[in-house]
Amino acid sequence: MTDLPSLSISAIREGLQSKQFSCVELTTAALTKAEKLQSLNCFIEVSRNSALEDAQRVDALLKAGKQGPLLGVPVGIKDVICTKGVRTTAGSKILHNFIPPYDATVVRKLKTAGAISIGKLNMDEFAMGSSNENSAYGPVRNPWNPDYVPGGSSGGSAAAVAAGICPVTLGTDTGGSIRQPAAFCGIVGLKPTYGRVSRFGVIAYASSLDQVGAFASNVRDCAIATQAICGQDPNDATSVNQPVPDFEKIIGTSIKGLKIGIPREYFVSGLEPETDSALRKAIATLEGLGAIPVEISLPHTELAVSVYYILAPAEASSNLARYDGIRYGHRASGELDLKTLYARSRSEGFGKEVQRRILVGTYVLSSGYYDAYYLKAQKVRSLIVQDFDSAFKDKCDVILAPTTPDVAFKIGDRVSDPLKMYLNDIFTIPVNLAGLPGISLPCGMTSAGLPIGLQLIGKPWDEATLFQVASAYESQTEWHTKKPSMSAGE
Amino acid sequence: MISEDDVEKLASLSRLEIEASFKPVITNHLNSILEYVQRLNQVDTSQVAPMSHVHGATNVLREDRVETVGSSAPVSPLGEQSIPVQEMLPAESLLQNVPDHSGRFIRVPLIVE
Repeated sequence: MTDLPSLSISAIREGLQSKQFSCVELTTAALTKAEKLQSLNCFIEVSRNSALEDAQRVDALLKAGKQGPLLGVPVGIKDVICTKGVRTTAGSKILHNFIPPYDATVVRKLKTAGAISIGKLNMDEFAMGSSNENSAYGPVRNPWNPDYVPGGSSGGSAAAVAAGICPVTLGTDTGGSIRQPAAFCGIVGLKPTYGRVSRFGVIAYASSLDQVGAFASNVRDCAIATQAICGQDPNDATSVNQPVPDFEKIIGTSIKGLKIGIPREYFVSGLEPETDSALRKAIATLEGLGAIPVEISLPHTELAVSVYYILAPAEASSNLARYDGIRYGHRASGELDLKTLYARSRSEGFGKEVQRRILVGTYVLSSGYYDAYYLKAQKVRSLIVQDFDSAFKDKCDVILAPTTPDVAFKIGDRVSDPLKMYLNDIFTIPVNLAGLPGISLPCGMTSAGLPIGLQLIGKPWDEATLFQVASAYESQTEWHTKKPSMSAGE
Repeated sequence: MISEDDVEKLASLSRLEIEASFKPVITNHLNSILEYVQRLNQVDTSQVAPMSHVHGATNVLREDRVETVGSSAPVSPLGEQSIPVQEMLPAESLLQNVPDHSGRFIRVPLIVE
């Protein structure tokens, strides 16, 4: 029997329209698979009842001849995104009992496109982490090898798609949190341009960097899901009024003559040899399709991690000041004075990495150090933006790079050394700092059987070219068809 | 170099209580992070303007008034297309998250003697 939750969106549309299966059958299969693969720890909460009720509604809509871009498609939502009436924890103990009174705009948009939410996905606490080991609800395991991390912070979102539990999930990306887990789990994940997607109802980490995006097992599905969530929102003053092209139409169009920038700073000694070789093969594949590789330089790349680990904690220390145990979230018990109540509620509620970043952020924003750290980082950020500007102005249409310097690592391997963990994001962070769109897609496997990710970086608002190049690459290769053995159906 | 006393002071400013056993560990971590970011000083930025917004956006202002009154029902598939703006939420949906309240009032520790 067909493993329904592993089907692509197009196959689901086809199957539902031609009555090969009902939406209730599809949704039940996704929920059953989520249960069967509980050991991966992808979900913080599975919404069985509401998903099945929605599935019945979809079956009625289908009977009435209704259509929608995601009609009947089971989706999972990263737990940093508010869902009305469904507990939303951001992976933190401090929000263990938080029930949002409204839906985030992206959730509303998915629902109005016809999608069915099957649950809330595990993540690093407040999206701070690269391995999903910082979740208060336990680490997520990589479907390719359960001893390995799925990446982070959207680890649950990536693992759920890789394991074939649902075809589409939402994640957020502040320094690589969509692209890095997509690479580690061998799937497709796109971080849209800063301002492309509404963040209304998304729990904030670093507001000058955060962006919501979609995961899927192939480029077309990622394009369909991205289409559904894009667009300006009157509730988010940082979302921008830019026309959204039809991404699905761009899939499969020719990339002949397109200039692909290869930044020499991304192909340096720290790059793992198997990753390097997979990337070089990918460049040759695109060249075979008529694209023109051009060497470019992004000279300030090496400074991006430093800039990020000043700015992101600074913004986090301010954003997380709201968790004080008064209006919502965890409140410490006992007869405490106000200041102790604040401090104890926060210390009991926040995990160690979150506390570490709040302290760093408070330090770099304090009056004696502001110029030396925060202001300096904002200036170097300008230089990083200029690097990309000049590459896109004169030399190339899109940039190709590895998503990560190395593939997934073992659970527990890097927890004691935060700096080593941070360096894992060296190739994804510059894209957030410059507010650009970036996509990761599978481009190889190591001899140990772990996926390798290829990253494409676009001009602002040019997600279309990313989908175009990614789909051209996908059409010539079979990496996206490889699935971890545990993802197989009954 | 940051000392454990500095960490104590930062913790107080951040409204955090750091466990005694974690204090030396986190002091080390902060020092290694701050030492790493020193590499920014290799770059001359005397002629560079600090970044304020990647796409040069400016403030967006609107009148502060309620436009829609929220309902408690969730949206169903293919539900209404328009996004409610400046929505007023039902008090009950907010109060269910309050750790300690009496009727519609949030209970807090005594602030003024």
